Amino acid sequence: MALVLHDYELSADAYKARLLVSILGLDCVKVPVDVFPGRETDGAAFRAVNPRGTVPVLVDGDIVIRSPEAILAHLAARHDPSGRWLPRDAAGYAATLDWLAFAAHDLKAADEARLEEMLGLPPTVADPLGGTRRAYRILDDHLVRQSFDGLPFLVGDTPTVADIACFPAVVLSIEFGCALEEYPKLRSWTRRIRALPGFVAMPGVPEFL
Amino acid sequence: MAKTTDRAALDTWYVVGRPEDITAAAGTYRTRLLGQDLEVRPVDGGYIVREADAGGPSGDPLPVRIAYGHVWSTLGTPARDLFPIDEFAETDRRVATCGAVRVRASGLRLVENFLDMAHFPFVHTDILGAEEQPEVPKYDCEIRRDVDEVWATNCTFWQPQAAAHAEGGQMTDYTYRVATPFNVLLYKTCPSDQARMDVIALFIQPVEEDLSLAYAVVNVVDPVSTHTGIIHFQQMIFLQDRIILENQRPRLLPLSPRAETPTRADMSSIAFRRWLKEKGLRYGVFEKNEPIPSAA
Ligand SMILES: [Fe+2]
Repeated sequence: MALVLHDYELSADAYKARLLVSILGLDCVKVPVDVFPGRETDGAAFRAVNPRGTVPVLVDGDIVIRSPEAILAHLAARHDPSGRWLPRDAAGYAATLDWLAFAAHDLKAADEARLEEMLGLPPTVADPLGGTRRAYRILDDHLVRQSFDGLPFLVGDTPTVADIACFPAVVLSIEFGCALEEYPKLRSWTRRIRALPGFVAMPGVPEFL
Repeated sequence: MAKTTDRAALDTWYVVGRPEDITAAAGTYRTRLLGQDLEVRPVDGGYIVREADAGGPSGDPLPVRIAYGHVWSTLGTPARDLFPIDEFAETDRRVATCGAVRVRASGLRLVENFLDMAHFPFVHTDILGAEEQPEVPKYDCEIRRDVDEVWATNCTFWQPQAAAHAEGGQMTDYTYRVATPFNVLLYKTCPSDQARMDVIALFIQPVEEDLSLAYAVVNVVDPVSTHTGIIHFQQMIFLQDRIILENQRPRLLPLSPRAETPTRADMSSIAFRRWLKEKGLRYGVFEKNEPIPSAA
């Protein structure tokens, strides 16, 4: 049975799900949600699907998942026969979950900076641009350390759901005027993600970075 | 920045918001036009728009029009009423407004991008253009003195996916119309009925000289697509343009021709810039006596 993704083309969180669905080559029916300007996510019909009023929502048979990082982990656990996207060794598993949480918490600032700059939506964090730069610095420093060990991705030598979860907040930086010049490892990492088989872009993802 | 003193910018109509966003429930609606803060208040059957400062609204209510899915006003005394768009009277059409998108660029840059067909294959790849067919065929362009508008007619372009419900590519006929310096429309062949034209308009609210709110509205003959599908198609197209626009330097529009040897694709840009020059419009225009910085 095909997956169902309640989706919004311009949502960075929904893009995480679309990207992994495409990379894993999964059948997925997309249900477009009029998030902006229609605020369909505030309506009763959508709240019945997701009381939190956020996209994406993934429906996989009887399973409904409402946060993007959990969607990624679920897709990898259930639909990736290679097992590489969600490592099962203790260290790899822990690191992957750690970076998923980083994407959900620290990189939230980037999403808020983008939505404020693009659509005028008021941010819920105090200094979204400052928070974004701090998160980028942490990621860039980590990728520098990874490169010392010859590891091109956040967790190891192959990409995991951690890379997918962190990618949109970084690659869409140009949409809120946050240049990546100061984060050279971050830029080369986005190019490696771009080169993955099955990669798809979204509006705002620059051709070259 | 304070309210502009540019008469050519003041004496014309602008969108100041969408009815869906200006409701009693949502509270006082504040926005900004030409460097001037505005307050928009919903009242029975209409809206009251007034200039505002930190102390609240001041001065007489400004003229208001409700049209084409938006609320319009002006800070000056326009010589003409709001421009007509006849298709909005046709009852079998679908109208979708796409909301306000902020762009750090002069509104005039947005209009010029909207007029430019040459970028389709590279910015809207495999949607509004194909990289194998980048040619802009010959078209006509004129300043229509009777209505004081710029028109580009007999435009054609090969499009892999011309609209939300298009199935396969088509040679699309285009007509472009600049109704005011900050409001631009296009008429294009409807994929489901070649005898009719879809209308797409971009209404720009110049907040500051280099900061714009862009309101796209789609008026189409499309029995197939969902309302959400129509909005998302247009939003996707505009967000692709937005990155290009935000990275153009200078952010304001120079009025000198953009290339020493203009190509056919530049004809509408040349007519648009000449028309702005004739109007004496300065708002959002790059001063000619300043050196032009190189692209960022
Ligand atoms: Fe465009």
